[in-house]
Amino acid sequence: MVDIQLMGLLNATLQAATLLFIAALGELIAEKTGILNLGVEGMISIGAVTGFMTAINTENLFLSIIVGVLSASIFSSIHAFVTVILKQDQTVSGLILTILGLALSSLLGKKYVGKKLMVKIESIRDIAEPSNILEVLLNQNFIFYLAILLMITTSFVLKKTMFGRRLEAVGEDSTASDSMGLKINKTQFIGTCVGGAFAGLSGVYLTLSYVPYWTDNMTSGRGWICLALVIFGGWKPYRTALGALLFGFLEALVPRLQTYGFELSPYLVKIAPYLITIIVLVILTIYKEGKTGAPGNIGRPFFRENR
Amino acid sequence: MNNYILSKKTVVNDLATFYSFLIGLIIGICIGSVILLIQDQNPITVFSLMLKLSVGSINSLSGSLNKAIPLILAGLGISIMNSVKLWNIGAEGQIFLGAIAVNLIYININISNSNLFIFILLISGFIGGSVCILLPAVTKVVFGVNEIITTLLTNYIIIGLTVYLVNGPWKDPKSLNFPAAAYVGEEVYLPTIFGKLSSGFLICILFTIGAYYLKEKSVFGYEMRIAGGSSMTAIYAGINAKQKAFFAMLIGGGFAGLAGAIELLSQTHRVSIGISQGFGYTAIIVAAITGMRPIGIFLVGCLFGALTIGGAVIQTIGVSSYIADIIQATTLIGALVSQFFFTYQIKEVKDG
Repeated sequence: MVDIQLMGLLNATLQAATLLFIAALGELIAEKTGILNLGVEGMISIGAVTGFMTAINTENLFLSIIVGVLSASIFSSIHAFVTVILKQDQTVSGLILTILGLALSSLLGKKYVGKKLMVKIESIRDIAEPSNILEVLLNQNFIFYLAILLMITTSFVLKKTMFGRRLEAVGEDSTASDSMGLKINKTQFIGTCVGGAFAGLSGVYLTLSYVPYWTDNMTSGRGWICLALVIFGGWKPYRTALGALLFGFLEALVPRLQTYGFELSPYLVKIAPYLITIIVLVILTIYKEGKTGAPGNIGRPFFRENR
Repeated sequence: MNNYILSKKTVVNDLATFYSFLIGLIIGICIGSVILLIQDQNPITVFSLMLKLSVGSINSLSGSLNKAIPLILAGLGISIMNSVKLWNIGAEGQIFLGAIAVNLIYININISNSNLFIFILLISGFIGGSVCILLPAVTKVVFGVNEIITTLLTNYIIIGLTVYLVNGPWKDPKSLNFPAAAYVGEEVYLPTIFGKLSSGFLICILFTIGAYYLKEKSVFGYEMRIAGGSSMTAIYAGINAKQKAFFAMLIGGGFAGLAGAIELLSQTHRVSIGISQGFGYTAIIVAAITGMRPIGIFLVGCLFGALTIGGAVIQTIGVSSYIADIIQATTLIGALVSQFFFTYQIKEVKDG
């Protein structure tokens, strides 16, 4: 019995972590090129609502996922245009993306509130009460495995390939990269849109698998946690995944606390992840004497003239 | 081969920010109209209704100005912090902690003179906002931790604390379905000036002038700008940049906290999750759109307050209230785009 409860917790942890991790990985890629995008929350919402609408209307899951990913990516190009091409403030622009994304998705999804989804991304094998780790893993759907694949690929590309090194160089020191002949604007633009696409995938996972329905503001702050995760992970894919597991665990734990007989207030437990992130952030900053792993140029627009 | 590069214009029109805002507003209204048209609504009917119900009568006008109060105060706080080139994304949390501080003092002490009591409560709101930003301020100044993320995360901590308080220790047994603390007594309600307009608006005007003076005219404001500009200049000028940043953050947080106190004492009259409906985030738009100028924040704050009220009332004819959010956000995007053309020029350079 305890096993089933524990496995249930593990199952919920993996699902919550997948949702957080994919969007966080996208943000990591964007930030590696030096573009801070505070619009994760908005991009996830756009991906979630467009994916859900397509699924209701066509009942074609593959198409829904593509639509969700693409629309979030196109939406994120607003940020890319304003910050990369027009060199405007990244904080402001990212924040607009969040506000606009939440408003637009509520507007689009208005007619879809309460509608029941006929199709859902199926898990590899549907097990109602998984009793061992293998069964928990089989109970996940393909996006979970895709997330693992993306983690390995991103880490490999960033560390081992020429493309990844160039990407990092742009975010680290754009002036030096420019004199080396790298295309700063192009790299940053692509990085931002890839980040948007990842957030869109996260959104699709949210509405087509995690909670298969649509309501307003259903991202409920997860986009902001993704931003915290990137910092928590020191801009490294594997450590970000570890952070996602921790946050996912806390999200899964909160509704279960009372069944375990704890007297802790669930409201206070919900605060814990945010406090932990601040503490980790402070420790990282002190421990590494300011070198938290943040790309050197993050948040700073690049001017050719400055060369 | 000819190359094209961006360069900053040497002379920027003084009114560039204002023109950018106007162009942005036109773009925002156009995009809003398109969205309304897609939804089979006549934009002219909807906008004239919004106008009528947000500024058309004394009652609606005063309601709009009431909504402007938190936007203006939080926006001013953000602009003060921006003098030292720091971002405050945590105004939302500071508004909540300001209201919580007011309620905490209200429950625990009792002063018979109601004017004095209100004064003390307003001050505790200000202090509550400052306390809210204390952790980000200390970690920024001492360790150099990025304030964007810490102020943002404190929002969720404080909102979590609010939810805990109104469901737990402060829960009013009389509020059954909607978790909220007990109402404060009528003796501490902020008096109204005309219509529904709370006297908080006068405080707002006072603080706008204060922020303008602080930022533009005072020695402290000058030192803040140097501290935010270049650390070397600050060292040569003998200015303690960290100290300036610290105080700018505490003051900025306090402004937002005061907004929470006024919201509690004049609008909601009790602590609940409804103290702020995203005012802290909209305030960032308001501050950014005006280029962080206090007088501009006051005016745009009033406009956005009316827009929020307008958005809320058109729900009754079946139009989504999110149209107001969309207009606000696209106005800022439009303003940013036109700001680009006011400040940059594309120069042709010959390579080699």
